[in-house]
Amino acid sequence: MSIDRSRTDRPATRRQRQSLSHVFAIPAFLLAVSITGLVLGLTGDGLRDAFAWGLLSLPIILAAYAFVRRG
Amino acid sequence: MKRLTIKLWFLVHKWSGLVSTAFLLMLCVTGLPLIFHDEIDSLVGEDYEATLAGAPSAISGTALDSMLDVALAERPGEVPLFMAFSQDSPLLTVTTGPAPNAAGADMTLLFLDRATGEVIGPAPSGGVMEFILQLHTDLLLGLPGMLFLGVMGALFVIAMVSGVVLYAPFMRRLPFGTLRTRHSRRVSTLDQHNLLGIVALGWMLVVGVTGVINAFADPLVDDWRNGELAEMTAQYAGDPAIDAEEYGSLDAAMASAQAGLPGRSPQFIGFPGGDWSTGQHYAIFFQGDRPLTQHLLTPALVDARSGELTDARSMPVLNQALMISKPLHFGDYGGLPLKLIWAALTLATIWVLWSGLVLWFRRSPARIERRIDEIASGAARGMPT
Repeated sequence: MSIDRSRTDRPATRRQRQSLSHVFAIPAFLLAVSITGLVLGLTGDGLRDAFAWGLLSLPIILAAYAFVRRG
Repeated sequence: MKRLTIKLWFLVHKWSGLVSTAFLLMLCVTGLPLIFHDEIDSLVGEDYEATLAGAPSAISGTALDSMLDVALAERPGEVPLFMAFSQDSPLLTVTTGPAPNAAGADMTLLFLDRATGEVIGPAPSGGVMEFILQLHTDLLLGLPGMLFLGVMGALFVIAMVSGVVLYAPFMRRLPFGTLRTRHSRRVSTLDQHNLLGIVALGWMLVVGVTGVINAFADPLVDDWRNGELAEMTAQYAGDPAIDAEEYGSLDAAMASAQAGLPGRSPQFIGFPGGDWSTGQHYAIFFQGDRPLTQHLLTPALVDARSGELTDARSMPVLNQALMISKPLHFGDYGGLPLKLIWAALTLATIWVLWSGLVLWFRRSPARIERRIDEIASGAARGMPT
């Protein structure tokens, strides 16, 4: 398998089809997190702002992680 | 998903994106500096508010009557049209004109300091940030430009929705966050487009939708002004307008309006005879005192001679909802960290737009069927490398 992948990163076997809920699990989570963060920051200052920063950073961190990991 | 369904969504995604991309790129590029307009203004010394020390002019300071007197002394023979307040600094502005119903071009805007009670001078015109803001708001074309950008924003929303629909079949065989690097450049670009698009989706949707709302909000506010406000002022339309000499105390008018509307902060005063008032009243427009409510206007009509509160009405619920959503577009309500997040997500959006354009540019004729194959069968299969 490792030898195979060194030549190409195309999966040696066809990957299992994922269900719709599986495909959208993380995207739906990020969508909810983003909108919650955006609205939370709007409703007040201080702690709410801090939560907004944390929630809205998640999508950015996940994307950055994917870019770092791709090597 | 059927092949034909995918093809239709693909075409919706392609064309809604292509038509709006150039304008959306412009909006992103002009939006970036606008996120930091406070910081930039103070850096280049155009931030008047930061240089003034004292209580916000909306809350306290020199008596409004004497502020008005010093302003009018600068513009002899003119009448006051508007007085506007700042929620952050002692800056107070007074707009004067030759007559109560003066046209916008004949108006003069004066800056005053309510803490010292002195005139700062005529409002500075323009500046780079003002230019960028106008470009971002209406392409320097006024209302038609604004509505046009609103339509482009609506296309952006359509492109996002269709993009999400296509994401489902495309990602069926790929784990979240896949960025393939060993295939063609096109595949690499496509993965980046999809990842950043889906990751920034929530933010892009909110900023996109509120941008559209903002583009169409001015006509809505006009509509409200022509409807409810007109109704409020209509019953006095028959009465003769009073002269500027007869105007009573502004401070007394403000006090009686605030007594009737506690928990609100004045945003501006429309003087008698203008579009925003009646011939006999000061129209004092209040806003809420929280980020959530600061765009909610409540007009109060105060008899300009007696200083008594005549009438006050809230905006209709629809308008209220629209106005509350406005700050969601600007990202300036949560300190510098939120602005940095806004900037990062704007950069991500720029990359989504640019990569979308690149994907279209690198296409070759008759390849659409292969694109559809790629999406329909799950991305990991049937790909030319």
